[in-house]
Amino acid sequence: MHTLITLAQLTAVEADQETVRKLLVWATLLPLVSSIMVLFLGTRYLKKQAGTFACVVMGISFACAILAAFKFTSGNMESFTWKIPWIPIYMGKDGASWLYLGLFCDQLTVALMAMVTGISLLVHIYSVGYMEGDKRYERFFCYLSAFTFSMLGIVTANGLMQLFVFWELVGLTSYLLIGFWFEKKGPQLACKKAFVMNRVGDTGFLIGFGILFVQLGGKVLVPAADGSMFDAIAAELGGKAAIMEHPPMWLTVAGICLFFGAIGKSAQFPLHTWLPDAMEGPTPVSSIVHSATMVAAGVYLTARIFPILTPAAHLFVCIIGLITLVMASMMAMVMTDIKRVLAYSTLSQLGYMILGVGSGAYIFALFHLITHAFFKCCLFQCSGSVINMAHHQQDMRYYGGLAKKMPLTALAYGICTLTISGIGIGSFSIFSGFYSKDGIILGTYNYAHELGGLGSLFFWGPVIVAYITPFYMARSFALTFLGKPRDQHLYDHVKEAPKTMVVPQLILALCAIISVPWLLPWEQMIEVTRETLVNKNVTWIQGIPTHAEHHHIALPLLFGLAGALMLAVGIWMYKDGFGKAEYLLKKVPGLKLLYTWALNKFYFDHLYDVFFVKMTKCFAAICNFIDKWGFDGLVNVAGHWTKGLAWFTGAFDNKVVDGLVNGAANSARAGGQALRTTQPGRIRVYVSLLFVGLVIALMFAMTLVTG
Amino acid sequence: MTTLALFEPGLYHLVGVSIALLAAGVAVILTKRNAVGILMGVELILNAAGINFVAFNNYVWDNAMDGQMFTLFIIVLAAAEAAVALAIFLNFYNNFDTINVDQADELQG
Repeated sequence: MHTLITLAQLTAVEADQETVRKLLVWATLLPLVSSIMVLFLGTRYLKKQAGTFACVVMGISFACAILAAFKFTSGNMESFTWKIPWIPIYMGKDGASWLYLGLFCDQLTVALMAMVTGISLLVHIYSVGYMEGDKRYERFFCYLSAFTFSMLGIVTANGLMQLFVFWELVGLTSYLLIGFWFEKKGPQLACKKAFVMNRVGDTGFLIGFGILFVQLGGKVLVPAADGSMFDAIAAELGGKAAIMEHPPMWLTVAGICLFFGAIGKSAQFPLHTWLPDAMEGPTPVSSIVHSATMVAAGVYLTARIFPILTPAAHLFVCIIGLITLVMASMMAMVMTDIKRVLAYSTLSQLGYMILGVGSGAYIFALFHLITHAFFKCCLFQCSGSVINMAHHQQDMRYYGGLAKKMPLTALAYGICTLTISGIGIGSFSIFSGFYSKDGIILGTYNYAHELGGLGSLFFWGPVIVAYITPFYMARSFALTFLGKPRDQHLYDHVKEAPKTMVVPQLILALCAIISVPWLLPWEQMIEVTRETLVNKNVTWIQGIPTHAEHHHIALPLLFGLAGALMLAVGIWMYKDGFGKAEYLLKKVPGLKLLYTWALNKFYFDHLYDVFFVKMTKCFAAICNFIDKWGFDGLVNVAGHWTKGLAWFTGAFDNKVVDGLVNGAANSARAGGQALRTTQPGRIRVYVSLLFVGLVIALMFAMTLVTG
Repeated sequence: MTTLALFEPGLYHLVGVSIALLAAGVAVILTKRNAVGILMGVELILNAAGINFVAFNNYVWDNAMDGQMFTLFIIVLAAAEAAVALAIFLNFYNNFDTINVDQADELQG
């Protein structure tokens, strides 16, 4: 009886898994279908309906993802995997084996699926308004859907090979989207830069992949039967605890190399320069790249490789995250281009996430990834609305007082500003950003405490940036929407954005408020992680706080109020333009220097220009020189020799060989010429010659006879 | 040999006639522009040869008839030659509207 019940339960579980799996596969593939259909039918049949069509398909995809998420969470389902053979490969004596197309589903997968499809849907709707009248309107939706598909592929992928394929697809589609207006110089350069920077990171990813392959053999290519692929690799090496205690050297290197892929995609410190430049693309692209898709991929990967990260790799990840976090927030304070402020803000928030993963609070990092996706997408859409209405003027120095003209956009922007600032009272806030960011900071507190000494930077860095963030966000809000218009002409022309643009903004703003703490089972996920990690004796992760715990900590109180204070300071300073800031720049010594440094993006572009571009050019020039005078010289000498020889043989041929032939011909002609006079054709001449000859012959005969 | 014997008909006289005929024939061939004239010259030369045959046969190999036989052949040959030559001249005339052999210099080298 007992067995029967278990069996019945088992089949029920399997049936549920089947449903979720199908929903996820549909959610992943529908954007691809939409992309292909728009590509082939777009210009001829769909035309202006292409946008609506893509939105509808995206909507179905979103519905599938949401259904899967609810089914998964409400059913309290375990994570499961699924795979089908994809490409046959041959390895060793075992005969044929396969590369699999797999699907891995756990809490994180369904949450990210819902988030990516949801945001992508809103961006699609927003694009209908934003891209209206563009001459490649249909093509834009083709790219956008393909981009979403690639990201969904990364999220669902089980197996390194499959992950890498979608990883590269994201790179490709982002290239297409950033360079969508390729007639202009800026987008051309930006999309090339994004692509090349990502390739640098991907090289690291491939190297890490290769190390795993060499060390563990072909099984890294096969999706794990249980858990994600990196869980399986960690299990192979004795679990996270064993890895933390006795980290193999190669695993550290492999982890760091794989993380390099994330550095490229998530635009972390050494490869961060592409992200602000990617602002050249259409604003919907910025809003989706900066929230749900591309940059999220890097954080997602880092979270997935978490099980195989060694202590040294953790430290590396944290350092990269910290540098990005602090650097980008400083740059965000001085930029005047509204989209660039947001771009550096994204960099800074990504730094938070990476730091969160590195310091072990990776559940909060993913939490922040999702909350950030909503408010950053909203912020970009708002900035896009402003830019679109302001005739593509992106500089905040020409804005001011726009709240009166576009109240709904200002409202959405304001809500998101509060959310990103993490405003809250005590342990309570209606803004989702408050929970996620504080979770990360508490995680870093544990890590810093564990490291001690200089390690405390990992705590103080995020804390200081938590004060800077409200300031620069308030600055951008105040400069754009408050005070007096600084460009009256521009102000007169601005009006509220069309409905297709405003509605997605408001929905996103709403999500940024209510959002995830109450909709998704974060408490449950945190509890699960906590249990598994604590059980594995990973000491410094024990401190991952649940909400229940961190409610009692004084820090959130500090952040909530300090955030509000900095917000007020920011608004007060920039409400009436740049006057107060300039005054401050003049009065405080050293600030000007820092300002210039940050305004020039810490001279990273210059540095890369000198070190990579110029060096490469210099090297190319040297190679050119060697080629020209070394190799070409040899070739030219050989060429001259051949030419000389050819001249000689030519002369020989012309003068000697031809001379012989011509000489023979000429002498024959001359002989003929001489002899033809004896053939006059007159009978008398012949006859007389005949007789003369006869006489001579007779005389000769007679001399012979007479002796 | 006496002076009288000199006038007696003998081999030398016959050969002399033959030479005269030959010279006349050659002269006719060399000087005549008319093809028929040239044919006449050729006849003279042939007859000179015939006289030679007969004369030498008579005076050197007296009891043989070979020379006479040759001469008969030469006469026949001359007739045949005249027939052929006249046919040639007819054609010649058809082609050139004349029988002046100086006009026929197409073999000129």
